[in-house]
Amino acid sequence: MIYLDYSATTPVLEEVLDSYVKVTRDFIGNANSLHNLGVKSKDLMLKATRQVASCLGCEFNEIIYTSGASESNSTAIKGVAFKYQSRGKHIITSKLEHKSVLETMDFLESKGFEITYVPLLKDGSVNLVELEKLIREDTILVSIAAVNSEVGYKAPLKTIRQVINKKNKKVIFHSDMTQALGKCKFSLKDVDLASFSSHKIYAPKGLGVLYKRSSLEIEPLIYGLTDNCPYRGGTPALPLIVSFAKALRIATETMEFNIKKVEKLKNMLENGLKEAEIHVNSNNTCVPHIFNLSLLKIKSETFVRALEKENIFISTNTACSSLEASTILKALYDDKNINTTSIRISISPYTSESEINSFIDAFYRTYDSLLLKR
Amino acid sequence: MKLIMIKYAELTTKKDNRNYFINTLVKNIESALFEFDPIIEKDYFRMFVKVDESVLDECVLRLTKVFGIHEVTIASFIEDKSIDSICSKAKNLICSGVSFKVETNRSDKTYQINSMDVSRTVGGYLLKNVSNLKVDVHSPEVHLNIEIRKEGVYLYKNGLKGSGGYPTGTLGKAVLMLSGGIDSVVAGYLTMKRGVKLDFLYFESLPHTSLEARKKVVELASVLKKYGNDGKLYVVPFTKIQESIYRDLDNQYMITIMRRMMYRIAEKFAKKNKSLAIVNGESIGQVASQTLTSIRVVNDVTNYPIIRPLASFDKLEIMDIARKIGSYDISILPYEDCCTIFVPTHPVINPNIEHVYSEEKKFDFSLIDEAIDNIFSVDLEKDEKDDYL
Repeated sequence: MIYLDYSATTPVLEEVLDSYVKVTRDFIGNANSLHNLGVKSKDLMLKATRQVASCLGCEFNEIIYTSGASESNSTAIKGVAFKYQSRGKHIITSKLEHKSVLETMDFLESKGFEITYVPLLKDGSVNLVELEKLIREDTILVSIAAVNSEVGYKAPLKTIRQVINKKNKKVIFHSDMTQALGKCKFSLKDVDLASFSSHKIYAPKGLGVLYKRSSLEIEPLIYGLTDNCPYRGGTPALPLIVSFAKALRIATETMEFNIKKVEKLKNMLENGLKEAEIHVNSNNTCVPHIFNLSLLKIKSETFVRALEKENIFISTNTACSSLEASTILKALYDDKNINTTSIRISISPYTSESEINSFIDAFYRTYDSLLLKR
Repeated sequence: MKLIMIKYAELTTKKDNRNYFINTLVKNIESALFEFDPIIEKDYFRMFVKVDESVLDECVLRLTKVFGIHEVTIASFIEDKSIDSICSKAKNLICSGVSFKVETNRSDKTYQINSMDVSRTVGGYLLKNVSNLKVDVHSPEVHLNIEIRKEGVYLYKNGLKGSGGYPTGTLGKAVLMLSGGIDSVVAGYLTMKRGVKLDFLYFESLPHTSLEARKKVVELASVLKKYGNDGKLYVVPFTKIQESIYRDLDNQYMITIMRRMMYRIAEKFAKKNKSLAIVNGESIGQVASQTLTSIRVVNDVTNYPIIRPLASFDKLEIMDIARKIGSYDISILPYEDCCTIFVPTHPVINPNIEHVYSEEKKFDFSLIDEAIDNIFSVDLEKDEKDDYL
C-alpha cells in the first residue's frame, strides 16, 4: 500500500499508540474527580497540557481540548460571534477555509451576521489591500487558515495581524492551524484563537485543541464546565490528550529535519510529473507536504478510484468535501477543467523515495489508461 | 566544547578549609549538570566547566542557581599568547556600538608586555577595528577581561550573577517545616543559600486536607531541588493530633498548641534524622501565632536551634523572593493545608504559658510518638508520568 493522503489523516505512531493504551489502562479516574484516582489523572493531564503549551508556544491555561479541529473552529467562531455581537455583527473570512469554518459562517449569516469573503490573489494568497478595506468599525472577527488544506497555501499571519491592527485593534483574529501543525513555523502571538487537530500529527483521531489567548473571553459551545475545563464541558479524554502531547513533542523535535525531507520528496514528485499534461495548483507559497494538481481531462473522482486499484491512496480535494467542486480552486480559477479535476497528493516525512517513484509510474499508467480520447 | 568560568562567592573568605568548600561545589555542579557530562577544572580562585556548545545556555542558567557561585561567565581560551592573537579574539567578542573597558591580569609574569600595556594595545586595536566603540573606564557596558596565564590566555566579558552563598551541604543538614504557603519554601531557600542541606517535614491532616495540597508541597520541595538540594520530603500524619486539639482543648489556643506539637515532632524527628537545626517560615507579627509572645510560648517546648530566616522580612519582600525562585505560582494554588483548617475565629495573640500547660494536661502525648512512628517519605525523584509523554 502506498498512502499519500496524510493531510486527510495520519496513521498513529507506534510509541504514541503505546501511550494511549497505557494511559487508558493505568489512569481510570476522571480528571474532574476529587479522589486520588482523579487527582492522578488531573496531574497527568496538567503535565501533558504543559507540554502541549510549551510546544505550541503559549501558556497552559490557554489550551482548550475539543473533539477535533472542526469543533475548535466552531467553538472559536460561534464563541466570538455570540460573545461580541453587541460590538458588531461583521465577520471576515476567506475561501481558503475548511468546511467547518465555511458552514459555521453560513449558519451565522442565517442568524443575522454579515459575512465577507476576502478576495484572493492569483497565487492563492489573501489580498491584503482588500482585507484592509474590508475591516470596519463593527468587524468583530477575522478567520483565516494558516495553511489551506487543499492546495497548501500558507497565509502570512503576522502581516494579516498588522493589517487588522492598523484598521481596528479590537478585531479578534482566529486561524485554523490544523494543516500547519508540524509542517511549518508559526507564532501564536499573531492570533487570538487557533485550531489544531491531533490526528494530523500521527496521534489518534478524536481530539482537537483550541488555543485561546488568556485575556480573551468567548461563549462556550458545549456546557458542563468545570475548573479543569472552563470553556468546554465534558470529561477530559486523558488517553487522547496524552497521546497528542507525545505526538506533538515528537513533531516539534523533528520538524526542521522533516520539512527538509518532505521538500526533497515533493521536488522528486514534481519533477517526475513534469511530462504529464496537468495543471499544478500548488506553488512555492505552499507547504511542501501538499501537492495539488488538476488533471484537466480526467474527472478527479475517477482517477482516485483507479489509483486505488493499484493500492495507492490519494484524495480529490479534502476528505470532508470529497464530492464537491473545489471551493478554493473555484475562487481562483474560472476554468471548469481546473476546478473540477483537482487531486491532492499529501506527503509525509515517513514517505519513502521508492513510494514516490512507484506513485509516479502508476500516475502515468493510470492517466494514459483513463484518457480515452486524445 | 565551550568554556564556562565560575567565580567563587563567599567561600573565598575561607583559608584552611577552602578546598572542602570547593570540592563540595564541584560535586554540586556535577549533579546540577549531570546529563551534560561537564568537564570540571578547579583551582584555588576559580573553576572552569567545559560543556558542549548545544547545551551551553541551559548549563549557564543552571549554574546561576547553584549556591557558592558569585558569577558565571562564558570564556574563550587561546593557547597562542601573542598580542595579535589576543587582539583578534577580542574583536570577535565585542560588537559595535557599545562602551567598553579592557582589563588585563597577568599571572604569567614571564610574559613580556605588562598588563596595562596589553589593555591599552587591545583597546586601541578594538577602537580601530570595530565600529562605533567608546571607551568608558567607570561604567562600561562591556567589561572585557584578559587573563594571561602559563597555559594560555582567557578572555571573557561580564557574566551573569550567581546565587551567592555557600555550596549547599558544606554547613550541615537541617529540617525545614514545609507547608504549601509562600513563606516556608522561601525560608528554605535562604537557609540553603548559607550552605545548609535540607530535609523537608510536611504535616498532613488527611482527609481534612487534600492530596492536591500534598502535591503542592512536593512541587515546592522540587523547586528547592533545582537549587542543588537533594533532601527528602517526609510526611507527618497529623490528623489525630489536630482532631484531639480541636475536640478537647481551649479553641482560642488551638493554633498555639498545634504549633507546640509540631515543634515537638520536628525536634524528635531532627534528632533521629541527624539534622542540626529546625528551619521554618515564621515572620514576626505576620499572624497571631507569630507574635513575639506566641513565638516564645511555642518555642518553649524545645531548646533545639530554630532558624527563622524570615523573622524580620516583610510579606512583600518574601513574595518577591518567592517569585524569583519560581515558587510563588505554586504556593498560591488554593488548597487548604493543616494550618488553615480548624481555625478559631479569634486566635489568641498573647497566649499565657500557664494556661497552655494546664490545657495540655488534657492531651494524650502518645499521639506524638505515634505520629513520629508513622512518618513516611515521598519521592521527589523522577516523575513516572514522564514515561507517558
